Amino acid sequence: MRNVIRLVWFDLKPEIKPPVWILLEWFTFTMQLFVYGAIISQLVKAQAISNYQQFYAVGFIVMMTFEIGSHAGRSFVEHAHEGRLPYLLSLPISRSKLFLAITLQGGAELAIMLTVPLTITLILLGNLTVFSVTAAIASLFCLGFGVAGLMLGLSFIAFKSSDMYSAIVTGLSAVIIRFSTVLYPLMFLPQGYASVATLSPLTYGADLVRFLLGFDPGILLNPVYAAAVLAALAVSTLGLGAFLLQRLVEGVKSG
Amino acid sequence: MTELRRILQLARNDFSYFFRTKWLMAILLSLHLSDMLVVALVYNKLMTINYFNFFVPGVVVMGLFAAALDTGRRIWLAIREGVIQYYLSLPISIHGIVIAYLLAGGLAAVVYSTSLLLIALIVLPAQAIWSTFILLPFLFVLAMGLAGISATLAALASTHGEYFFAYQQVVQVLLVTFSTVFYPIDFARSYLPAFLTNVVSANPLSLAAEAMRQYTFAGNPVQPLFLLSILFTSIPFTIIGAASYLTALRAIQVKGKL
Repeated sequence: MRNVIRLVWFDLKPEIKPPVWILLEWFTFTMQLFVYGAIISQLVKAQAISNYQQFYAVGFIVMMTFEIGSHAGRSFVEHAHEGRLPYLLSLPISRSKLFLAITLQGGAELAIMLTVPLTITLILLGNLTVFSVTAAIASLFCLGFGVAGLMLGLSFIAFKSSDMYSAIVTGLSAVIIRFSTVLYPLMFLPQGYASVATLSPLTYGADLVRFLLGFDPGILLNPVYAAAVLAALAVSTLGLGAFLLQRLVEGVKSG
Repeated sequence: MTELRRILQLARNDFSYFFRTKWLMAILLSLHLSDMLVVALVYNKLMTINYFNFFVPGVVVMGLFAAALDTGRRIWLAIREGVIQYYLSLPISIHGIVIAYLLAGGLAAVVYSTSLLLIALIVLPAQAIWSTFILLPFLFVLAMGLAGISATLAALASTHGEYFFAYQQVVQVLLVTFSTVFYPIDFARSYLPAFLTNVVSANPLSLAAEAMRQYTFAGNPVQPLFLLSILFTSIPFTIIGAASYLTALRAIQVKGKL
């Protein structure tokens, strides 16, 4: 276990010392919530959303989770191309422990980045129970792992061209966020857009977290369905990640 | 004359590099088109105002801003990877290099935002398309100003590795949030303190977005004084950016590094 912790710290250290990127995420969240969210909230008239700033706060947390998970997945592929992963594979540590270290590192990064934004959001929402907060955090982690695994799953493109991989993955990210319920409830999406939104993992993540934090269930997806999709996503993509690490990654060539 | 030709050659090289960066094009296009065709459309159902009409011109200005800011990334990359040393060895003055980068940054931003504008014109009927041609030179100066901000950040960050992207994000968040790209000034006024409302009003992004809404899409007669205000708020950024980049290039020329 000491080796696993050492590896986690090895990857986490550049993020923490100095904590520029963490502070930047917190700054962006604060500005988005207390300036953009607050002003846009005044423009929203829809009765289904009583307080858009609160709705947006949760949406932004889900967006952050997506970005961090996606970043973890992409870094993994970049490391493979830059030769860092082959170095890690050559260490006297089993693949399962290496996979555990990578997963824990992603989880720790997510936890650090979300600490302040999530605390602010929970204070803003108020009136929460320990169960609802714990379940919401667990859902966010499920989503984070699922997204990281999804990005890893797309890495087969990187075998042909890492440039093309970056273009597809980063371009796809903006579309996945907008075609989801992160910024608006599903009921307000036109029919064609709503069908696409039901394919986005963020739709299930955002709606489940909102349900757990006490938002009106009438504007959200069925939470049982959302929880099942998120759990399936996390388990399947983590399984895929473990499989790739065991079998495929050693053969990665520079694009 | 030879110097001018070399400036244009260098500018052309940087201009084409922007459009050849596939991942960047993928990010910018997916971001701005989905903002225009998804976010604006869905928010329109939620808002008290016609948000689609309001936000689509804002997306065009955001495109101009994002493309202009990429100038800084290209400068930062040239400094980091030593391409700048090659440029300094060319028979072109350092003033010429600075002018070439700002020209390329401004032009790339205008070309990119014009492509967004063409799509905007399909989805949102414009009352006075010809006003856009009057606006374009002013948008070009604005883009040079924004490229200047970005050049300043690149020059500042050159000794601090990848902090350039952190600086860039802070500037981007501040400039876009404190503007009328996303919300009308009346709503900002009712929430923000007076001095911040003044910042929002004077923000060149607010001025450009407002000009596009009023003159291109609403068809109101073009007010020369309003257009001059875009110049007055943009030119200082261009000058500061040029001076910062010039100082950085001089330091590289003398010491070989920053």
